[in-house]
Amino acid sequence: MNDTVPLKLNTTAAKILKYVRPVIGIAVLVFILYRLYSVLIVQHEFGLDTWTRLLVSGLIIGGVYALIAIGYTLVYGVLFMINFAHGEVMMLGSFAGYFVFEALNAAPSAASPEMSFLNANPILSVIIAFLAGMTVSAGAGYFLEKLAYRPLRKAPRLVPLISAIGASIFLQNAAQLLFSPQQRSFTNPDLLTRGQGWKLAIGGSNVILSYTGVFTFALSIILLILLYTIVQKTRLGRAMRAVALDKKTAALMGIDVDRTISITFLISGALAGAAGVMWGIHNGLIDYYVGFIPGIKAFTAAVLGGIGNIPGAMVGGMFLGLIESMGPAALGIPFQLKDVLAFMILILVLTFRPSGLLGERLSEEKL
Amino acid sequence: MKAIKFVSILFVIALLVTACAKAPVATEVPVATEAPAATDAPVATEAPAGEAAVPEACNSDPFGCATFKPGDVVKIGMGAPLTGGYASFGIDISQGGELAVKDAGTWNGLTFELVAEDDQGSADLGAAVANKYVADPAVVAVAGHIFSGASASAAPIYEKAGIPMLSPSASNPPLTSNGWKVFNRIVFTDEQASTAVAKRLFNELNVRKLAVMHDGEDYGKGLAELVAAKFAEVGGEVVASEAITPKETDFTAVLSVVAAKGPDAIFFGGYTAEGGVMANQMKTTGLENAIFFGCDGTYGEDFLQKTGVNGEGAWAYSLNPPDSPEKLAFDAAYESAFGQKPGVLSPYTWNGYDTVAGLIDRIKAVAITDAAGNVYIPRGALVDAVRAIKDFKGVSGTYTCSEIGECNIAGPLFMVIKDGAWVPAQ
Repeated sequence: MNDTVPLKLNTTAAKILKYVRPVIGIAVLVFILYRLYSVLIVQHEFGLDTWTRLLVSGLIIGGVYALIAIGYTLVYGVLFMINFAHGEVMMLGSFAGYFVFEALNAAPSAASPEMSFLNANPILSVIIAFLAGMTVSAGAGYFLEKLAYRPLRKAPRLVPLISAIGASIFLQNAAQLLFSPQQRSFTNPDLLTRGQGWKLAIGGSNVILSYTGVFTFALSIILLILLYTIVQKTRLGRAMRAVALDKKTAALMGIDVDRTISITFLISGALAGAAGVMWGIHNGLIDYYVGFIPGIKAFTAAVLGGIGNIPGAMVGGMFLGLIESMGPAALGIPFQLKDVLAFMILILVLTFRPSGLLGERLSEEKL
Repeated sequence: MKAIKFVSILFVIALLVTACAKAPVATEVPVATEAPAATDAPVATEAPAGEAAVPEACNSDPFGCATFKPGDVVKIGMGAPLTGGYASFGIDISQGGELAVKDAGTWNGLTFELVAEDDQGSADLGAAVANKYVADPAVVAVAGHIFSGASASAAPIYEKAGIPMLSPSASNPPLTSNGWKVFNRIVFTDEQASTAVAKRLFNELNVRKLAVMHDGEDYGKGLAELVAAKFAEVGGEVVASEAITPKETDFTAVLSVVAAKGPDAIFFGGYTAEGGVMANQMKTTGLENAIFFGCDGTYGEDFLQKTGVNGEGAWAYSLNPPDSPEKLAFDAAYESAFGQKPGVLSPYTWNGYDTVAGLIDRIKAVAITDAAGNVYIPRGALVDAVRAIKDFKGVSGTYTCSEIGECNIAGPLFMVIKDGAWVPAQ
């Protein structure tokens, strides 16, 4: 792509634009700082307890966004395409977790007949649910690549993108037909009852750290560290990085490119599946549409952090989660505008750093 | 492929079956009596020539009398959507009404009949159906229309002919402020519901600081804004008003900010999907002690299942009547007659029964029987009598009409979750 001539604007228009863009950016920045000052310092509307609650809320949702965003970034890294069906991969994982919990809740426990298996062995049940969710999603990702993307590997870049959107619509509607459009309530083991948690006395009131929230956050951090270790420290990770850098050269060095790409889809699918089960455990409701909004948000997070960059996806996810939870409160605007705010920040970041927060210069092939 | 074919064939068969089942309602109309095609209503008093003198009441009545000989059928109209996207409402409500006709049996040698006509809930067909009823001298009252738009276009036509309306479901607030003498309804409006909610919160739950939240959709938003206004009217303080995004499932951030304002209760206008999640998340966002107060959209078994212990003490209100011997008897009769539980196709099944039963009760009250057994129903008096409904006991409650025709002054039935089940609030 490096030999194509970039679209040239009229030179005077280009000159004006060159000055206008930073001016607008700085104006928005100044406005945000002014609002922050007036809300935080002058009005001082919220106490420390409220800020802690918002921080907790943002970190939990940010962790889930980060897990899903990694999937976008990994796939972009090796294939240079946006896997728009990734949110639906996550949705399939949440359904797998839901059905496991339902089955275990119906099954009696061998040790104590009056309890269900789910409540008699809560830790084992949660592990089974996550394994099921991650397996189903990893499988979905794997076959998605095999069926929808691999045949289009040599096609122009827009073609697999359209294929991804098609796959997304297909999976959503298939799930609607299979599982009915009705919303389902996740049955948690009693250990992870929603609405219960540890009390923390902050700023004159009790801040409650919900069991599900702490669990979700801890697990997402563990998975993120695990993923980072795999990519940075193992042979497999080295192969993935090599394919991301240059497929042809990687193949010449004896790396099985197709296999590496398949594994990338397996890993990103597994992370999305884990995110899906967490989503169900923490928020409690799933339906065929559950992957759509988190998918879009996580994609945003991946772009925000710098697409193709793994730490970038993690930082982007956390950053987006925190903006969504704390931003409207800090700027004193209605919460209905949280998405407006999130995307405004995205535009602002991309104006100054087109490759994202942690994005590096992309290799020429990716441009 | 085979499965799809099979399902589609089943679907077609189901369509045919329902179409056939519906047919009697539609075909009954042309069969009945003469009904000249004239749109200008022959509402005049048709005193049979050879009979004894017409009662004095008929001569003084501005609209004259409808006259029936022994063995005749007194017709009650019901403009209802029987086809199209809203058909389930019309079918359900008219089925409720059929039972009232059945219960009325024979009276003074006369029988009653509910003549449901398809207006698809639309304004233009509503007027067409009204003209049809006006042209039929046997139609003395209308239990409808079902939809507000159809009711609004039909009411002026009935106004000229002196046919009283008693709608089971047209809840658009302005309908009763047009000065129509014929229009009455037993459904409560959002305005009445919100007034009742505000009073309940302020007077009985001692809420002084209220936060209102809604899902940003027409119904929830309108309701939340009304509740906020009414709550301020009764002297409370609305400390926060926030909207959430439908289809999302994490409201912890917005709830934390609302919690900082220290509300005693949260009113939520919306549906169970979001309301249930909200009730759960209130417990971890500093709103442990605030009351969750929902609306009819958050009432139902679903809510219990989605909230578990976190739903305890949550409020909502219901369009369904509380269990009473009359209601249970109706439910059983409905299920045996139509093979389905009431309240499934629409929440207005019981209202359908009550409107028809109420109209029959009024017709009996104003009717005059002469020595020859002829029954005269003075139309103007019937219009006034329907407006004057007082302490009429139906299956879904007791009705008294106000001077503008709002007959459900009692407002909605409040429900509260106690020990994991919805129970009617005291």
